[in-house]
Amino acid sequence: MLKIESAVKTFFKGTPQEHTALRGLSLHLKPGEFVTVVGSNGAGKSTLFNAICGSFYLDAGAVMLDGKDITYQPDFRRAKMIGRVFQDPMMGTAPHLTIEENLALAYSRKHKLPLAPAITAKETDFFREHLAAMGMGLEDRMKTKVGLLSGGQRQVVTLLMCTLSTPKLLLLDEHTAALDPQTSEKIMEITNRIVAENHLTTMMITHNLNAALRTGTRTIMMDSGQIILDIGEEERRGMTLDDLLRMYSQKAGGEFDNDRMLLNKDNP
Amino acid sequence: MSIVLGTAQLGLIYGLLAIGIYISFRILNVPDLTAEGSFTFGLACASMLATTGHPWLGILLAVAAGAAAGLVTGFFQTKCQIHPVLAGILTMSGLYSINMFVMGERANVTLIGVDTIFTQISALLPGLDKNWVKLLISLLLTAAGILLAVGFFKTHLGLCIRAAGDNETMVRASSINVGHVKLVALAVSNAYIALCGGIIAQYQSFADINSGVGILVVGLASVIIGEVICGRRGVTAGILSAVAGSIVYRVIIALATTYTMLPAYMLKLISAVIVAVALSVPAVKSAFSLQKTKRGGV
Repeated sequence: MLKIESAVKTFFKGTPQEHTALRGLSLHLKPGEFVTVVGSNGAGKSTLFNAICGSFYLDAGAVMLDGKDITYQPDFRRAKMIGRVFQDPMMGTAPHLTIEENLALAYSRKHKLPLAPAITAKETDFFREHLAAMGMGLEDRMKTKVGLLSGGQRQVVTLLMCTLSTPKLLLLDEHTAALDPQTSEKIMEITNRIVAENHLTTMMITHNLNAALRTGTRTIMMDSGQIILDIGEEERRGMTLDDLLRMYSQKAGGEFDNDRMLLNKDNP
Repeated sequence: MSIVLGTAQLGLIYGLLAIGIYISFRILNVPDLTAEGSFTFGLACASMLATTGHPWLGILLAVAAGAAAGLVTGFFQTKCQIHPVLAGILTMSGLYSINMFVMGERANVTLIGVDTIFTQISALLPGLDKNWVKLLISLLLTAAGILLAVGFFKTHLGLCIRAAGDNETMVRASSINVGHVKLVALAVSNAYIALCGGIIAQYQSFADINSGVGILVVGLASVIIGEVICGRRGVTAGILSAVAGSIVYRVIIALATTYTMLPAYMLKLISAVIVAVALSVPAVKSAFSLQKTKRGGV
């Protein structure tokens, strides 16, 4: 479904702040796969998502989605096929618009003429039905401005906005990180249900290593712009947090040593 | 009586300006200085076509001219990545030359003795007093403007514009081209402003190259007065309150000039003060509540 071929991205090229965020990263996702992405801060997880969404264009490499080369497609066009939920609940919804209006806007990904009514009665029913399925009582507050909702409720609305017209790829960027543990669990439950119901190909960034191992079908670990671990379904089964941490310190530590050796070689 | 009628007429016509400013300032959330140029652009187009005997065509051309001016600003903002305020200033400044050209290289044009939409309709209704006919025309034109705007913001495109002013990231993520949406919004906003300019030219039978100076502040004052009266609510309420604000603004101006010693040239200062005071209300409020908290109040 998603194919990333040796993606390279360097920010602030030619300045003292030069920073290579993706170093020839390659990744293949099969349809229906649910990949959890872990890695320390600055490992390039969000940069990877930004590259997939087209927030910037790659310096080298390619992004293919569903057999189509989207490397140089602008972000809003890719958004037709990609749903993304951000960590910040404020990012995914328009606060001064009602729940209904937010959903209608996202749903219009399915082609809509500019001067067609923004929301039809049929759509209202459709939205109400889907909101009710979330089990958060939002179906009775469709005319409420989203800005008045809690973070968890906003994330549910965003999740629904991303999946109402089924995307080819769903990207979850630590979408439960800003929520309290209970709400976070509830959102994860809803996420798992939506992904399963629609057989969505999904990538989820998380800092919760336990959740990373328990959720989805595959886990990848990133470090300094590369994938250092790729744990498939078989291997993941029965894996504990300690196993993962051990693998991480081996891998990351090894890379670090290599870097030091390289630097030493350059500056004896 | 004639003062009351005149105030109502002006308030209604300038209500169209207030709608235009409301669209850019409140809905799209961008202060658009194109207004100063597009108002005069509409005024110039409508007056020049009236002198050739086509007042209605002049009004239509004013609308098109305003939309074109808005598109230019939108192009600067979205494609050229120029700061929104500077983009508006560039268009406004360029329009001065264009307006001069349209007006036949004259700084002002008089329409006395020329057919305007007002004289034409008055001629059709011989039994009615001219001032009442003017009020009727202003009312009908502004009502049509309100209806169109309210309807437009209930469409999908209207919703896109509202969302773009609220959360651009979300609009992008919903697969909508934010650049196009902004272009349309600025075109619609400036079409309203130029329409107002066009009607004003024919209403007062006079067009001056400097008519647009300070018009942004007039529009802002109307929008803000409307919000003070009606509060900030939905878009429909916002459009209506902008027009209401425009009428109240004209009343304030009429009172100020009739009952005080203030000369007419002070009006711009009064408008600026109204806008500055109204816009600083939130800051003043929060400063007061902070003082209260510091003193241990509730």
